Amino acid sequence: MTKSVVNVENVQKIFGKKSENQYKALDNVSFTIKEGEFVGIMGPSGAGKTTLLNVVSTLDKATSGKIEIAGQDITDMKQNQLADFRSDQLGFIFQDFNLLENLTVYENIALPLSLQGVSSKKIKPLVTQVAEKLGIKSILAKYPVTISGGQKQRAAAARALVHEPAIVLADEPTGALDSKNAHSLMKTMEHLNQYHDVSIMLVTHDPLSASYCERILFIQDGTLYKEITKSGDQQQFHQQILNVLAELTSIQSS
Amino acid sequence: MLVKLLSGSMKKMWKDYLVLLFGLTISIAIFYMFETLAQNKAFLEANALISSIVFVFHVGTFILGLVTIFYIFYATSFVLSLRQKELGMYMTLGAKKGKVTQMMFLETLVIGIISLIIGLIVGVGLSEGIARLLMSRLDFSGEGFQPLYASSLWTTVIFYMILFLLTAIVNAIRVARKSVLELLHADQKADNKVIKGWKTFVGTLFAIVLITFGYFAMINMGELAHVGVLIAAATVTPGTYFFFMAMLPFIIKRIKGIRSINEKGLNAFTYAQLDFRVSQLSKVLGTVAMLIALGLGAMTAGLSFYHNTEIQSSLTHSYDIKVHQPTEEELTEMENWEFEERNLYSYRVTDDGVYFSKHDLQANPPMIKEFTGNLDELTEEVRVENNLSASIYTNDEETDNGETMPEQWQTALRTELLANFYMFGDRSLYILDQEKWEEINAETQTVLIGKVDNFTDYTDTLEEIENRHLQLALEFTGEEPLTTGSKYANYTSLKSLANGTIFMGLFLGVAFLMMMASVLMFKLLSSATADIGRYQMLRKIGVRQAKLKKSIYKELFLVFLFPGLIGLVHVLIGMEMFSFLLIEPYTKIWIPISLFLVIYGLYYWLTVKMYQRIVLPKG
Ligand SMILES: Nc1ncnc2c1ncn2[C@@H]1O[C@H](COP(=O)(O)OP(=O)(O)OP(=O)(O)O)[C@@H](O)[C@H]1O
Ligand SMILES: [Mg+2]
Repeated sequence: MTKSVVNVENVQKIFGKKSENQYKALDNVSFTIKEGEFVGIMGPSGAGKTTLLNVVSTLDKATSGKIEIAGQDITDMKQNQLADFRSDQLGFIFQDFNLLENLTVYENIALPLSLQGVSSKKIKPLVTQVAEKLGIKSILAKYPVTISGGQKQRAAAARALVHEPAIVLADEPTGALDSKNAHSLMKTMEHLNQYHDVSIMLVTHDPLSASYCERILFIQDGTLYKEITKSGDQQQFHQQILNVLAELTSIQSS
Repeated sequence: MLVKLLSGSMKKMWKDYLVLLFGLTISIAIFYMFETLAQNKAFLEANALISSIVFVFHVGTFILGLVTIFYIFYATSFVLSLRQKELGMYMTLGAKKGKVTQMMFLETLVIGIISLIIGLIVGVGLSEGIARLLMSRLDFSGEGFQPLYASSLWTTVIFYMILFLLTAIVNAIRVARKSVLELLHADQKADNKVIKGWKTFVGTLFAIVLITFGYFAMINMGELAHVGVLIAAATVTPGTYFFFMAMLPFIIKRIKGIRSINEKGLNAFTYAQLDFRVSQLSKVLGTVAMLIALGLGAMTAGLSFYHNTEIQSSLTHSYDIKVHQPTEEELTEMENWEFEERNLYSYRVTDDGVYFSKHDLQANPPMIKEFTGNLDELTEEVRVENNLSASIYTNDEETDNGETMPEQWQTALRTELLANFYMFGDRSLYILDQEKWEEINAETQTVLIGKVDNFTDYTDTLEEIENRHLQLALEFTGEEPLTTGSKYANYTSLKSLANGTIFMGLFLGVAFLMMMASVLMFKLLSSATADIGRYQMLRKIGVRQAKLKKSIYKELFLVFLFPGLIGLVHVLIGMEMFSFLLIEPYTKIWIPISLFLVIYGLYYWLTVKMYQRIVLPKG
């Protein structure tokens, strides 16, 4: 049996103070992601996907429940512990504003390594390696404003992967990309997952992007609605996803 | 419609506009403050020890004008950076370029005019407040100084209106030249990315040559006079800007180029913060360096005049304290003073002469100051030669009764024992041996002379003694003299002469340093909005708060360090200019400099704290 990288138990997230009107964005959510798994999170807008990702990524604190990542309980960690944890164990690809525009692509990718105190001798081969994998080696010296949106997302992916985190958390990384770029980014992630054992948790709206995953969790109104696992090929999985989404839409409209 | 949109978003960005208004307002206020002095010719000429003071102020106006031009161009480009993204957006929605360009022009101009009005009001207020404060502290009446000075007002208005018109045009042209996309992405663009080696080289060479010339002129100010002031102003100012425009990008690039430094921790980010807008930064730092040089220079010069009054008054006096016929009260008071040397001499006064006891004088021969004929050290202290063998010495040339008193002894009695014309009228001076002295039919008096470590500590008592001496002189001569010629009397009269100059130095010093502070603050606040996102991003990927704080400390340290250093060197060399006016221009220079360093250091710490509050979340 493989170990779990993410273990979420009965997590609740309530926005707003006690005195004000509160909003329950996550209600009793439990799931696990095993080491080396590629898991997608889907659901309608406002369902709580970003909230879930933020809670798992330690950017936000859960109101109650328990979250373990790579065997460590993160729910009662202190500020500095959380920061160190993020820089050691997690890789992020945000929906937008991923790269620091005053650093070159190279410097952006190198940042997580520098933060961990990796010596500059070792940094260069690591950055070049990951850049090669993602096909952005030729733009390393450029500043973010001079590269394309797809290149930016791949640079962000490179930064998320360069320090070999326990898990990569991605919030709609293909949201701003055309289908060709989206496809190439997803292909890369799939490759990293399959051949380099990177665990990935991916939030997406796009069924085609989601079909690269091994397993999809569907969220509806802050609760886990359904879970499907890839059994056949990608084409079939895509169809399966579309079916569940149609189901969800019909529930919402009724 | 567009106007409505713009004023709407202006409301949203009111904080940024407040920052801009603050930056412009202070600059205008300070410029006006400077002009209240510079244009008040009557006040300058009546109060300065520097003969060509009006000329010096003309040159000052020129330097301040240059610095202001750099600063205003930098500050108003902030309007553009605030707006361009939005203007780009309107253009994508169909607004015409002409219209958008026009908006930029008007907005820059309107902001300029608003800050001009506020700045003038603030300027009048500051002039009034600071002048009043300094005058009361310096005991300086400052007659003729006018905080509301019409011609200065007009100069300021005209100068800034031209500047704002120019900057408005420049901003408009910049908008007009850019494509929609360039406008949309302008805030992400780094400036000046590739610096050509030869440019750095030529720029640095220029900077070094110009500054060397300037320093040369300042060191040889005595011979060069007016021309020297002109040369110094016209070389050091552009030299300083060249230095920052050529060297700063070069230095930062070099540091960034060293991978083992750049790739350590957050360094890549810290240096990128400086590198990203390096051409703007070099303008700011050049301005700050110049303002430090001007402000600290004015202050140091003012204080130097102040400290030189003491040196000047010591020029001819060896002893700090001279008391004729000391009273019981004075003697008890002086018990507490720490004397390095203290002597008591007996004398008798008749209608014709003042007679000193040779016995006393020989027991403790006093010291005098003798002129050396050497410009570096005008006088030196010597003890009078103990060579009185005759029984009578006098300075009365018409009598055969006695030897001519040696020159040194005459000086000793006149200046050090205060047996001078002010005190005793035209009585002759005698030194008599015991036998002859006993023959003088008059009451025995004493005069006490003493040296102390710091004679300004005792000015209160010295003033009382001076007043008593004036009464004594009235008894001896029948009329009260204006002064007794004592060291204290010299000191007070020199001080009242120097007060005007000291006032100007401190007034300008405060003004320039205030502007320096506002320029640094403006640089900081105007970049804060853009930085919030960057720091947020860094926190998300797991940078500890403490590391972010450290990065801010480091970034701002470099921003403060370079202009601080350059400004300080300018001041240290610049003080040479006064060596033909002052005996020792560098006396106690550590006081203004350490004062400046402490204030500058505190200001650095304060800015860091403030910046951390803006860009980092609490807790
Ligand atoms: N900081 C907050 N304060 C209050 N409510 C919030 C906050 N953040 C999110 N919410 C609410 O929580 C719910 C879930 O938001 P979340 O951002 O997780 O949705 P999502 O599933 O990511 O949607 P989308 O697909 O549109 O990004 C929403 O109804 C949202 O209004
Ligand atoms: Mg979301």
